[in-house]
This record gives sequence, structure tokens and C-alpha cells, in this order.
Amino acid sequence: MNDKHETIYLDYAATTPVDERVVRCMVDCLGPDACFANPASSSHAPGREARNRVERARREVAALLGAKPPEIIWTSGATESDNLAIKGAARFHADRGRHIVTSRTEHKAVLDTCRQLEKEGWQITYVTPGEGGIVSAAEIEPALRPDTVLVSVMFVNNEIGTVNDLAPIGELCRERGVLFHVDAAQAAGKLPVNVDALGADLLSVSAHKAYGPKGVGALYLRGSPKSRLEPMIHGGGHEWGMRSGTLATHQIVGMGEAFRLAAAEQPAEAERLASLRDRLWAGLSGLGGVHLNGDPARRVPGILNVSFEGVEGESLLFALRELAVSSGSACTSASREASYVLRALGRDDQLAQSSLRLSIGRYSTREEVDRAVGLVRAQVERLREISPRDDDESTKGAA
Amino acid sequence: MSLHAGLPEYSSEVRRRFERAPRLGHLAGKLPGRVSGAAGDVRQGVRVVFEARLAEGRVAQCRFRAYGCPHVIAAASWVAEHAEGRRVDPAWPDVHQLARLLQVPPHKLGSLLVVQDAFRACMAAPREA
Repeated sequence: MNDKHETIYLDYAATTPVDERVVRCMVDCLGPDACFANPASSSHAPGREARNRVERARREVAALLGAKPPEIIWTSGATESDNLAIKGAARFHADRGRHIVTSRTEHKAVLDTCRQLEKEGWQITYVTPGEGGIVSAAEIEPALRPDTVLVSVMFVNNEIGTVNDLAPIGELCRERGVLFHVDAAQAAGKLPVNVDALGADLLSVSAHKAYGPKGVGALYLRGSPKSRLEPMIHGGGHEWGMRSGTLATHQIVGMGEAFRLAAAEQPAEAERLASLRDRLWAGLSGLGGVHLNGDPARRVPGILNVSFEGVEGESLLFALRELAVSSGSACTSASREASYVLRALGRDDQLAQSSLRLSIGRYSTREEVDRAVGLVRAQVERLREISPRDDDESTKGAA
Repeated sequence: MSLHAGLPEYSSEVRRRFERAPRLGHLAGKLPGRVSGAAGDVRQGVRVVFEARLAEGRVAQCRFRAYGCPHVIAAASWVAEHAEGRRVDPAWPDVHQLARLLQVPPHKLGSLLVVQDAFRACMAAPREA
């Protein structure tokens, strides 16, 4: 095998290509004859036109989330949204308490932000998910304290694709007067998202997971955004003072169009992707010694995370370089750190290291899935042939 | 994961040996002078097994099996192939020589030590009659 074969892209959970329809909207905001003006320049018509497009995009994003347009703050992506939500809420409400609850399986954008707050004196409780990797109110409730100011739980786990049971957590937070932040980067456009149904006070999304451009995202902030967060970026007072900086019209317009398309096409797309995902799983599970990671039922349509017995992760990933997939092991370090999410789920090191996340999306085809199944099966079988076996005569009594 | 861990660059020799795995397998049947040895643990990410047939103080045949990254598989293959015809030498192979030959990054030296330990265990094992 060489690297010249056409790659099958199965990494839609990492990022998605920008939809051609989105590209057209973005291009319309670039260049000297396009809508390039500063949306803050309300004194002239080009500026007002740019502002109109930004506000139209805000309405599209709000509509997908069941929010009101003024509750949407533009950011550079979900990582910044998570930072603004968690640090901003923690610092603003520091006089009420300095305790935050989150889960061990959150994205690093949440975990590293929480660790930063720990360095600054906050206390964080990291709860372990329940069965199948699902975080529910049963895990969150015992962790709440009188000084808890924020709970942060992701909607869809980015590694294993499981869907957390958020609505009861939102209800619990409301009862206790605790803010509830949801990282919905993997959910927006893949599942119905409604901030009221979730009970979310803050919710992070990005464009590039939903066929929009990289470099733009949004934070939903319930109610008036003017008095609930400590801003991180100052300089101009844009976005009600929550996030200063000239708005990137073409990025924002792209995100708006991507979210408009997602709202229109999500139900049909979810059905098609679930069918492809099930076909993928059926093909892989036939190998034997293959484990599905995460709850088999509560999952987003496009993500499948599997571990293979008797196969080492780095070799598997290299053997499958015709596939653009993500691995559960970080073998570039001396420590061979296995996925912290799979370890939190109780997977042993071998299975955690040999996991693959295969994520399909808008442009995935049945033919690609079938070809991927064939490649994975062939390479797993080959690597198992190379591996010493438990009953290998020569390994008996070996150290 | 570290879902987005990048793969290291592999030398052409590592790629070739990973793909074709020369000297992979077992020595067939019951052979006088056969020895075997292993090192590592699958739970730690590396396990290597060598089998060899020794004759007149030399390695007549050698085969390997390996669980590990492409560098480990390539190193085990290289050792098995180059052992054949060599005098039994308790100081061979040298892990630093292996690393240079295969262009293995420094943080993988620990994995190469498992290959070295497995081969040396094989050479030190009691021979089958």
C-alpha cells in the first residue's frame, strides 16, 4: 500500500468541508465589489449592508438553537465559546462561589479551561460518566455544593458520539440556581438542539463541524448578555461588550448559511447517516474481537468508535492511511497515552489504544463505507497475524 | 483523542518492513537447537517474540512476531533477518544502532529496548533437544 490512493474521509467529527452553498455566500462578502465593509460602520450603506448580513446570520444560528438573536455572541469557534462561558461565568459570579462541576469526558476546551480556573483558585469536580459513557443528573447531583456556580456538560461526546441526558441536568441546575453550560459543538446540525428544552444558560457551537468555515463560532447566553459574563477580550465593545473585535462578516455569513442548511436538512441527513453508520458497524463487528465504545442507542448518527482486540493503535492507524480517521491513542509521546475518554469508560489500555473514531457526514457514500470496511478488516486481520498469540507456544512462560 | 494524534514520519525501511514483515512467523515443527524468547506486555503497548534455530554457535534461522507500533514491527523484522548467519552474541543487537538504521525517534527507544530484550532472551534460552 502507498499513500497515493484516494483517501476516504471519515473524520467529519474533526471537521467538515465547507458546503458549496456556504462558500458562495462567503465569497459574496469578499473582494472590492462584494459586501466587505465593516459591520460596525453604520454611517454608510456598505457598512449597514454588512451589518444586515451579520444579523441575518445571527437569526439563522438562533433559529437552529431555539434562541433569540440577541442571545447569540459571535466568537472564533467553540473553544473560545467554552472559554468565554466557563471563565466568564466563573469570574462574574465569583462572589457567589468558586465551585464548578463538569465531567471527565469533556472536550479539552472545557477540561483545560477548568484546569486554568483551578490554578486561579476555583475548585472543580470532574464526575465520571454513567454506563455507556452517558452523563446524566444521577452523576451531577451528588457533586453539587452550595458554592457551585456552574455545571458544564457536553451534548454529544466528540470521541464516542454518545448523547448525554441533558434536560434533567438543566432542570436540576435551575432548581439549585446553578448556571448550566452545554458544549454543543458536535450536536448542532446533527441533532435537534433547543436551549429551552435543555435548560441551558450557555451553549457553545462552532461552524466548521456543520459544513461552515473554520474560525467562527458562537456562544448562546440566556437573557440579556450585558451582565452575566466577565468578557475575555476587550477593545471596542462589540457583541454587547462580551467579545470585542471587528466582526468577520464572511465567516459569520458562512456560519449563518451553514446553520440554515442544517436546520432544513438535518432530519433527512440524520436518517441517512444512521443507516450508513449501522452498515459500517455491521461490517466491522463481523471481524470478531471488535468493541463498540459508548452506549449503543444514545448516540449521534455520524460517529462510530470501535476498539480492536489484538491490534496496536499506531500500527492500525498507519496501516489504514487510506482512511482519514482519528485514533484513540497518542503514540507520539513516550507515555503512549490512551484516550482519556475511553479510560474513563473503563476500557483497558489495549482496547483504549486500539480504538478508531470513524465519523461520516454529508458527502459520505455507501461505496466509501463498504471500501472502508474492507480495508479495516484486511488490515486488522494482517496485524493480528503479526501479533504474538496468547496460546503461542513460544510465548509460554515468557516475561 | 488524543484523538488527533499525528503519526510520526517513518523511514522507507520501516515502511517496507511494516508492509512486508520479512521473517514474520514461526519455525515449523520440532527442531533441534530451537530457542525462543519474548519481552514486553501487550497492556504496555509492546510485546515481541523471537524464535531461532541455533547451529554450531550461529543463528541458522530466526522468526518474529510483534505487537507494537510500526517501528517495533520493523525493528523485530530487521533483527530476525540480520541475526541469521551471525554468531550468537549476547551483546547484539544494539538498540542505538537499530534506532539509527531505522531512523527511529528518540522517544521510541524504550520500545526498541523491548525488541532487544526479546532477542537476547531468545539467545539465552535453553535449546530444545
